[in-house]
Amino acid sequence: MPYNIIVCVKQIADEVRIDPSTNEPVISNPQYRMEDLSKNAVEEAVRIKEKYGGKITALMFCSDSSTPVMKEALAMGADEGIIITGYKENSPDFSAAVLAEKIKSLQYDIVIAGYASADSYTAQIPARLSKLLGVPLLGSAIKVDISGKKIDILREADDLDIKESADMPAVISVTQETNQPRLPLLANIIASARKPLKVEATAVQYKETSKIISDKAQQSSRKRIIYEDINKGVQEITKVLKQEVAV
Amino acid sequence: MRALLFSDKLAFSEMMASLLRDGFDIDILAFPDHAADLTGYGAKEIKGMEKEDYAADSLADFIAGMSKDYDYIFIGATVLGREAATMLSALTGNVMKSEITKIEISGGKARTSRLYYGGKTVLEEESDAKIFTVSQGLVEPSRTAASSKTTKVVNQKTSKITVGEKIEKPSTSVDITKASVIVSIGRGIGKKEGIEKIKELATLLHGELAGSRPICSDYHWLEVERQVGLSGKTVSPKIYMAIGISGQIQHVAGMRNSKTVIAINNDKTAPIFQECDYGIVGDLYSVVPLLINAIKQTGQS
Ligand SMILES: Cc1cc2nc3c(=O)[nH]c(=O)nc-3n(C[C@H](O)[C@H](O)[C@H](O)COP(=O)(O)OP(=O)(O)OC[C@H]3O[C@@H](n4cnc5c(N)ncnc54)[C@H](O)[C@@H]3O)c2cc1C
Repeated sequence: MPYNIIVCVKQIADEVRIDPSTNEPVISNPQYRMEDLSKNAVEEAVRIKEKYGGKITALMFCSDSSTPVMKEALAMGADEGIIITGYKENSPDFSAAVLAEKIKSLQYDIVIAGYASADSYTAQIPARLSKLLGVPLLGSAIKVDISGKKIDILREADDLDIKESADMPAVISVTQETNQPRLPLLANIIASARKPLKVEATAVQYKETSKIISDKAQQSSRKRIIYEDINKGVQEITKVLKQEVAV
Repeated sequence: MRALLFSDKLAFSEMMASLLRDGFDIDILAFPDHAADLTGYGAKEIKGMEKEDYAADSLADFIAGMSKDYDYIFIGATVLGREAATMLSALTGNVMKSEITKIEISGGKARTSRLYYGGKTVLEEESDAKIFTVSQGLVEPSRTAASSKTTKVVNQKTSKITVGEKIEKPSTSVDITKASVIVSIGRGIGKKEGIEKIKELATLLHGELAGSRPICSDYHWLEVERQVGLSGKTVSPKIYMAIGISGQIQHVAGMRNSKTVIAINNDKTAPIFQECDYGIVGDLYSVVPLLINAIKQTGQS
């Protein structure tokens, strides 16, 4: 039976450069890439669609309407994309409110998102979506099985794996252990250009709940002595080990 | 200031109590099996739940019912804890801060720190947050002289999900955060059998084995307790050897405080070479045996 799937996609700065004079990150005009676990989320959505049929809507909340990341989601197999602008850093409650507002206006059986994101790592979005939408959360799923309206997952919960189930509609969050995200084929990249893509600004009001006092790089002053000559390297590193450890 | 602490993991509750008991009047909400172990960590009261609850929504509903008695709620940053805390925030409308590593309350505001950009920076914030998830391993748990009152609480909220069988993963009692030498492996090891050679090196150096997330959480070639990084342990040994580890920021977040970092990787451009003191560019399967021999020889001399 076919399902309407919504997959939440985040874009993050490809590389965060640190300004050595201030020790602060430089985040103006970054190159964006798809956030790591968003890739697992898109992959899982595509696998469900391949097995049962249906339609995948990729939803991305971001600061500007740059489209390469959304195009990648479409090339991986999403059917249509919706980009919402108005993103604020470090505000997972706001992001979840914006995403939920949009999701409510769409038809859906399953919402999929990464359990956390590789940059901000608050892990709040899936649980907030579950509450805002009033649907169950099947979190940190490393295996997803579907029959009819029922979803069974294997949940990766620290030192336990737990079997859980719930009925649709539901939010599923995934981890990097859930699957191996595909690299889009060239033909699909070309075809993705013709897939529907909407860009809209969010109407949800932003409310500031915290103030940033500082955001500084953790000091790392490593020696960076690198040996390309293996024998020399082994010799020198053995000396270091001997000094530090009684061997 | 009254604070309620909860974690589904005993070690987390012990650590949070040790961290927070000086700044707050703490009570601990605990799973039934943990309640007895938690007296003596500085809590006024241990509220032992009637039954375990692994469903985040019913757990959050239950904690929401108690939250009016507290100024702050601290929940251990486990998979269950993160979800329950977030749902609690959604239910009560109270602001939440995730994965905090430091907290100070002044003038009614919470000043917290946490890792940002995957661990590249530390973000210090001031907020009205009342709910926090707390990172693991921030302090060494310690007991106090005072004992705690133990009570029973009945938790009977319903969940939207059905929790079935729980499967325990292979575990170890080794605590890598205490090791002074860590030999850590990544995907570059390629095959599980490859670990034997690394073990030999670790034994020679009186060190412990550790690994990257793929090794511990995906392939399960090492126990999950040995994972170093943003979603694993934070370690600070004298020697950290990263073998076949690329050095992605989420891994470096967990080993940045090591004294000396040694990297072995066959890719000259691997980011780990920016984060090491000494590095060898080469195939780990050639380098490690040479290193073992060299250490054995110097040992004899
Ligand atoms: C939210 C989030 C949380 C995360 N938390 C963690 C965490 O806690 N810990 C963690 O480790 N990761 C974490 N990650 C994953 C992290 O981003 C990386 O994907 C991961 O650390 C990569 O592991 P790796 O270095 O073993 O593998 P890879 O990145 O695949 O690196 C393997 C390395 O081995 C080298 N290599 C290959 N063959 C050889 C050989 N024969 N000899 C020598 N070298 C060789 C390669 O050059 C490469 O550099 C997290 C990611 C996210 C999104």
